Amino acid sequence: MPEDFEPVIIGFLCNWCAYAGGDLAGVSRLQYPPNMRAVRVMCSGMVHPDIVVHALQKGADGALVMG
Amino acid sequence: MNVELLTLSEVEEFSGNEGNFSVRIKKNPRYVDMDKCIACGLCMQKCPRKVDDEFNMGVGKRKAAYIKYGQSVPLKYAIDAEHCIYLTRGKCRACEKFCPTGAINFEDREKHLSIDVGAVILAPGFHPFDPSGFDFYGYGRITDVVTSLEYERMLSASGPCMGHLIRPSDHTEPKKIAWLQCVGSRSTNRCKNGYCSSVCCMYAIKQAVVTAEHLNEGIPQQTIFFMDIRSHGKDFERYYETAAAKGIRFVRARPHTILAGKNNMGVTMQYTAEDGRMHCEDFDLAVLSIGLEAPEDGPVLAAKFGIELNSYGFAQTTDFEPVRSTRPGIFVTGAFQAPKDIPQAVTEASTAACEAARALMPARGALTHEKTYPAEQDVTSQEPVIGVFVCSCGINIASVVDVDAVAQYARTLPHVGFVENNLFTCSADTQSLIAEKIREHHLNRVVIAACTPRTHEPLFQDTLREAGLNGFLVEMANIRNHNAWVHQALPEAATQKAKDQVRMAVARVAQNDPLRQLKVDVVQKALVIGGGVAGMNAALALADQGFDCVLLEKSDRLGGNARRLAATDRGQKVAPMLTRLIERTESHARIKVLKKAVLRSAVGSVGNFVSKIEVDGDTRAVTYGTAVVATGAAEYQPREYLYGQDERIMTHLQFDDQLAQNEAAVGRARSSVFIQCVGSREPQRPYCSRLCCTHSVKNALRLKTLNPEMNVYILYRDIRTYGEREDLYKSARDLGVIFIRYGLDSQPVVSRKGDDLFVEVFDPVAQLPLKLYADYLVLAAAVVPHDHQALVELFKCGVNADGFLNEAHPKLRPVDMSVDGLFVAGLCHYPKPMDESIAQARAAASRAGLILAKEEMQLDAIKSYVTENCDGCALCVDVCPYRAIKLEQEKIDGRSHIVTDPALCKGCGLCAATCPKEGVYVHGFTLPQLKAQVEALLAEATA
Amino acid sequence: MIEIRVGKLARMLGVHRNTVSNWIKSGKFSARPTVGRRYLIERADFIHFCRNQGISEDITAQFANSGGFAKPRAHAAYPVARDTDRHTEKGGGMTDGPIGSVMVVGGGIAGMQATLDLADSGYKVFLVEKSAGIGGAMAQLDKTFPTNDCAM
Repeated sequence: MPEDFEPVIIGFLCNWCAYAGGDLAGVSRLQYPPNMRAVRVMCSGMVHPDIVVHALQKGADGALVMG
Repeated sequence: MNVELLTLSEVEEFSGNEGNFSVRIKKNPRYVDMDKCIACGLCMQKCPRKVDDEFNMGVGKRKAAYIKYGQSVPLKYAIDAEHCIYLTRGKCRACEKFCPTGAINFEDREKHLSIDVGAVILAPGFHPFDPSGFDFYGYGRITDVVTSLEYERMLSASGPCMGHLIRPSDHTEPKKIAWLQCVGSRSTNRCKNGYCSSVCCMYAIKQAVVTAEHLNEGIPQQTIFFMDIRSHGKDFERYYETAAAKGIRFVRARPHTILAGKNNMGVTMQYTAEDGRMHCEDFDLAVLSIGLEAPEDGPVLAAKFGIELNSYGFAQTTDFEPVRSTRPGIFVTGAFQAPKDIPQAVTEASTAACEAARALMPARGALTHEKTYPAEQDVTSQEPVIGVFVCSCGINIASVVDVDAVAQYARTLPHVGFVENNLFTCSADTQSLIAEKIREHHLNRVVIAACTPRTHEPLFQDTLREAGLNGFLVEMANIRNHNAWVHQALPEAATQKAKDQVRMAVARVAQNDPLRQLKVDVVQKALVIGGGVAGMNAALALADQGFDCVLLEKSDRLGGNARRLAATDRGQKVAPMLTRLIERTESHARIKVLKKAVLRSAVGSVGNFVSKIEVDGDTRAVTYGTAVVATGAAEYQPREYLYGQDERIMTHLQFDDQLAQNEAAVGRARSSVFIQCVGSREPQRPYCSRLCCTHSVKNALRLKTLNPEMNVYILYRDIRTYGEREDLYKSARDLGVIFIRYGLDSQPVVSRKGDDLFVEVFDPVAQLPLKLYADYLVLAAAVVPHDHQALVELFKCGVNADGFLNEAHPKLRPVDMSVDGLFVAGLCHYPKPMDESIAQARAAASRAGLILAKEEMQLDAIKSYVTENCDGCALCVDVCPYRAIKLEQEKIDGRSHIVTDPALCKGCGLCAATCPKEGVYVHGFTLPQLKAQVEALLAEATA
Repeated sequence: MIEIRVGKLARMLGVHRNTVSNWIKSGKFSARPTVGRRYLIERADFIHFCRNQGISEDITAQFANSGGFAKPRAHAAYPVARDTDRHTEKGGGMTDGPIGSVMVVGGGIAGMQATLDLADSGYKVFLVEKSAGIGGAMAQLDKTFPTNDCAM
């Protein structure tokens, strides 16, 4: 693995908690690495396993389901 | 839309009568234009003046330009005129220079408004007790003595310590923490607060429990010093037991002195244990569990509004009218009425709303508006033409993300027909600009790259609807909260991320279809199940609001348990009230009372229920839009303490009957003994029945009044005379009622010797076994729930572990049940005294009234729907937490399939995630939509 | 009773905003201020004024239908008092029926819940809060018993 490797992480964020937490992190100006791209869902329970597999097949380095 | 929020405002003048009050309001200057402020926080960053932060109880600092807290509503900054350097000394104006929108306005002056209202609800809250006056606690002098509210802020993740607990003296983690209960409550020596604040026992236990989560190293030792633990609420006793099992130490003592530890670090405490021995112990930190006092401006408010206060400064109300003040048309609620916990405050807020709605019934809808929109154009057959609006948010986004580059990039994306960068996309003029561009460029989809959809999506949906597009054709890319604000040092990576976010949003919005919010007609009638005090109050409150009601009573007469009660906790006679209540219920034109009636079936969902009801053998169908469940509870039939073997041994209700019929005979007794917690707080029934302590104390007082020579003993585990009921407990002690504590492991023993009845118990204070003679032995028997099995099966609602009906959320929706359209009131929810039952019943009527006030109900658009791939495998049926999915048995094209009920579905999508063949989707979050987003990202993503 | 905004009325009538403001200030147009830069005027006064100013009946009617009026919403369950019935005697001691609005003092959890209940069931609510934002004491709590939920 090259030293400058930067993973592309796809995050599935529950609208009511994880996504709101992301918003609050912004308001509080908490800094974190810019590697994650968020997909907002209405409940982390709606994330189908297929979509996670799909993301990994298409080249995502990681998938994060937060809720 | 029908709420006018007036912040920084006070009532100046008040006059008029119920139905027609005139109010003059003074609106203090905010010095920030609310229309222009975008809550970027630059004014706060640039403000040079630091002030103690009252929101954080003075732990930590805020600036003179501030918001109260991160999630504040309205999310608009304000300038504190008392501390602002410019406003006090005439120089600075730094915030004005840096404000990107010109929102700072030092010319702002106080404004005066006049409004006319039909009713008033006073909810000014409470004042946290200030312990500085108690020299023996050392608060303010000893650094490591804090109040519970300060401790709360110290624990908070958004507080001054960022959720990492450190003690004030040396900023190290405290390992040994003590809580001192009843600081400023149950105390008449050093302060005038004879009442119990009702919430401190529970919050202290909560603080002790969560403390461990806020420490990095080691296991803390938490000790709570208390007089009686009052965990009398729903599921509170269990919480207390769990805390004790986790190792939190409970010591029955009231420490009299706190001294500073070495170098003013930590504390040393002396206390006398129950057995009389003195102890001296060191702690790293002491937390004072301060009580709730009436608000400081309570007397001013009372004078202004012409209402009376009680001796403690809380608003005067009665047990039968728990939120009605002494002046018609003015209602009081929350902690201003009496100290209370959040569920009770939320419930009684709805009660107050109900009373106001009742008073103003003829004017319902007279001053409210509904917005109208132009007809929606049909875009389903059109190719997507997407407009992208990239927001700079002043410099909030633009200072990190290269917005021009993002806009430039957006032009290259498929289907994009128009791109623009705005300084503030959310401003009112940009809304009209967006609408203009939609028409000019025939846009049929819109992407807003700005802040969070959680606060701003409704605004842009509204803009689209005003421009004739379906509101669901907009998508937001959150390039502020999730990007510019959190990657401030990485402008390049942030710009790249913003491009990715826009690309994802564009790909997704291209897949968006117009969504319809389903509407269902509401049957304008309510069903009330149970004809006790709660049921009748709910029915009357609904009927007085103009809604028809059907009231079911299983027996042949109304009244329920109240028929056997003599007086309320404040000594008001129940019988006359009950007679009037029954008369009004039976004669009200909008209430139909069905006696000997049993609910046999229930189908449908909120707005439209149909039930079969069996009335005295006949079955009839009733349709209704909403239901209030008030089925009551029963008194436990004891098996312990020789109950049933001697007629001198009675339960509370039996003893009340005895007192009613034979008062003189009871008064001749030499000795009476009460035993508390009979059937409550035991392993098989681990909840507190809430009302029995007060009941016993009341009856003991009555016996002492009848015959001051009588020996009256109350054998108890903790006396739970919460709130102002504490006054009764004090009077009982003053009159010589003897209270003897027993433990679960040292229960009293009842025996008969010849004709005499004896109770043996160990006195923990005297450390001696006692043998008490009893002419009467009264057992404070538990309140036990009825069997709710049938109801649970009919409505698919839930009960808690103790068998009481569950609310949807104990704090946010304390009278709503988990099934939409059902509400709960009275003893079937949890044991409670009559004033609380009445309050809850009227609160349920308020909540049910919200449904009945509308002729049709709009449902959320985000719902599951069945696709043609469904083959009826039914895997989703069991996972649906709302039971919104049914398997359709009849087969279509040789296949069975599922049907979803949009009225029950909450759009969580568990079904969609479970389905192995894409047979069910959630509107707006279909697999193709999510895939489009994922693919768009991964097509060219580099982090 | 009609609720108007100066800017909106000015656009409808094709005059400058200041003109409308001047009318109101001079008492020519007998509207009384409420909150949020809005004014209330009797329907009869409004129509009378428009007629005197020579404004066409069409524009008057158009304004009436555009939502400028505070209309009582018909409700199947009971008759609603007419707005004119209720407000004609305003100022001189109205007696006909109650005003369909409520003032809630205090923006804590209790005040907010009461406000929401009333606003959703057909009443106009003025929520008066003395500090800069609502939320009250509950917003200060880290977690709440017995579920350890976050207070936010």
